[in-house]
Amino acid sequence: MKKNDVVLKLSSVAYRYSDAAKDEFVLKDINYEFETGKVYAIKGKSGSGKTTLLSLISGLENKYQGEILYKDKPLKKMDLDTYRNSNVGIVFQSYNLLPQLTAKENIILSMDVSKVKVQDKDKKAIELMEEVGLNKNLANRRVLKLSGGEQQRIAIARSLSYNPEIILADEPTGNLDKETENDVLEIFKKLAHEEGKCVIIVTHSPNVCEKVDEVFELKKRSNN
Amino acid sequence: MYILKNAARNITRSKGRNILIGIIIIVISAACAITLAIRESANKIVKSYVEKNPFKAEISMNRNKLMESLREDDKSQEEMINAFNEIKSITEEEVKSYGDSKYVDSYYYTLSLGINGDGLTEATDSLVKETTTTKTTTSTRKFSGGAPSGFPGGGPGGYPGGGSSTTKRTTTKKTEKIYNEKASKGAFTLVGYNSYEDMKEFINGEYKITDGEVNSDFTGNYAVISEELATLNEIKVGDTIKLVDTDNTKNTYELTVTGIYKENSDESNKVTNMFSNSANKIITNTTVVKTILEKNEDLEATVTPTYILKDMNDADMFASEVKTKGLGDYYEVTNNVDDIKEATSSITNVKNFATTFLIVTLVIGSVVLIVINMINIRERKYEIGVLRTIGMKKIKVAFQFMMELLIVALVSLSIGAAVGAFTSVPIANNLLKSEISNAESKYEDASQNFGMTPPDAPSSSSKSSSKSSSSRSSRFNFGQSKIEKVNKINAVVNIKVLGELLGIGVLLTLLSSLASMVAISRFSPLTILKERS
Repeated sequence: MKKNDVVLKLSSVAYRYSDAAKDEFVLKDINYEFETGKVYAIKGKSGSGKTTLLSLISGLENKYQGEILYKDKPLKKMDLDTYRNSNVGIVFQSYNLLPQLTAKENIILSMDVSKVKVQDKDKKAIELMEEVGLNKNLANRRVLKLSGGEQQRIAIARSLSYNPEIILADEPTGNLDKETENDVLEIFKKLAHEEGKCVIIVTHSPNVCEKVDEVFELKKRSNN
Repeated sequence: MYILKNAARNITRSKGRNILIGIIIIVISAACAITLAIRESANKIVKSYVEKNPFKAEISMNRNKLMESLREDDKSQEEMINAFNEIKSITEEEVKSYGDSKYVDSYYYTLSLGINGDGLTEATDSLVKETTTTKTTTSTRKFSGGAPSGFPGGGPGGYPGGGSSTTKRTTTKKTEKIYNEKASKGAFTLVGYNSYEDMKEFINGEYKITDGEVNSDFTGNYAVISEELATLNEIKVGDTIKLVDTDNTKNTYELTVTGIYKENSDESNKVTNMFSNSANKIITNTTVVKTILEKNEDLEATVTPTYILKDMNDADMFASEVKTKGLGDYYEVTNNVDDIKEATSSITNVKNFATTFLIVTLVIGSVVLIVINMINIRERKYEIGVLRTIGMKKIKVAFQFMMELLIVALVSLSIGAAVGAFTSVPIANNLLKSEISNAESKYEDASQNFGMTPPDAPSSSSKSSSKSSSSRSSRFNFGQSKIEKVNKINAVVNIKVLGELLGIGVLLTLLSSLASMVAISRFSPLTILKERS
């Protein structure tokens, strides 16, 4: 993957809740370009629409105005399930792992869903765990028995399992201590700078904003 | 494939929940299995009863109509009898044409003909003695009765019985008899059957062979006579009897007596009758009767047809069809549908009750399953949200959930069916017990009545339609085949019940999954995950 290719482009994106007044937009006239090989932070105050923007980019929400282009293809015309399971990896603040599965099974499930071709899924899962700094002994442990930091690393490993170009993270370090936060950030930076991924982090942590390549600040709309 | 793997894994990892669902399904399916088994047994009983007692239609005289029309014209008895004689008898051709109907499974008929005997004494409790004494005084003698079967006599060699007649020996009085020609002339009635199956008097036990047997050859010159006739004429099995045409004494026929029968009907037990109704009834086959008819075209045999209907609902249709084919106004088509319905009504009630119970169980079962499934889905909303977020399609998520329920349902169904099968066997057997012994004794009785074990395939090479003969011969064997079938019922029930249960189970699972599918399709992963955090 080449660095500095525009992988995601926001063009005049506007969004309002379906039950909101006609001119009451959470997001309006958003234009931005995200490139590969960089770590971005989307910051803003509560209610500025950070998470909403993330849900638009991640293809979880598709009722918006304007266009979001993934490699020049409008998301609205793509199959969003395929987009989510192949082109974009999502990491949540609350990890969103399946509690009945082990660490390894959570990672393999994502590979299964994306239909990515992997020779040995077990081996790949353990490689990914090691990549995000986890001991492979944890592979067969149920995720609920892991610490927050460990769970978040599993979530990142899961999002990497099908090798997407974009990693989206919603307050990934919100539940973690500062030391762990730095570890996680290092992983993201490595992914962007060494593997050429486009990492987009939604955060309100000044520490995160300091360490990323670019910061995109969302202003809270005054008419809200 | 990973969906199936996931489903299986989820079941083993949430045992508590699945065991609860399983128990509910086991209870429902066991209840269903028992009900289905009862229903099935009831069905079998009704079916076997109907097989043994097929829906029959017979042609009989419509006496009401006849009397009405005769009364309207204000006729004297003489005119009435003459008018009655005018009514055309049913011919063999008519019987065959009525039988050629889509409603008719098979049919048979008997031919009966009045005949006289040569050297045979009629069994009668009235006797005319020719007195040679001459008396100048007037004596009155009253003859009552005549042949018990109502022969008016009057044929050559016959006796002037029938009604009372006063004879004055001193006066020469010419008496002209007005009699019902339809009742057979001659001292004896010759009745021809086509096969064992047609001989319903023997099957229902009214007649019973006491010596010899009913010959299986329904074309040869064989006959079976009543015990009374045999005693009166000192006839033994193997003897021959000589019969004479009522109109033409030159036509004589010899029949070998293969058996002697006894009448056991209520009618025959009347203390006022010296002989039974059947005393002068000589039982033979249709071929013999037809041979006699061919020699003398003036003779007319009474044809009594019986039609076996394919379905009880066809009875009325068949009756009107026969009417349009030209059955006379004074005849009517009667059937035994009501009798059979009456006889099977109690078991039909059991069946209906079982059906109602089944429906109630199913309704309650599906409601419970749907509710459980809904609770299940709500509980697992988060899981759905995660699966949808990592890009699993709605349909696959729904399929995985459905598969989980289906696997649990199938396992529980098997257990429930096994439990139900074990419990239902004694219940079904109890229901069937009387039926089994009934079939056994009926078979034994029928064989004894014919004086032997009926052959496997009674030859019925008579002219009656071949389709009827084949089905009749197989039906006559009901005795043997039915016993086997009844004994096998348990196995049959279980296989069929299992199939039905499986269908019900899958249907219930799909139905209750439908609720979850709707829920899954309505869930937005974003909302779910937001709720969670």
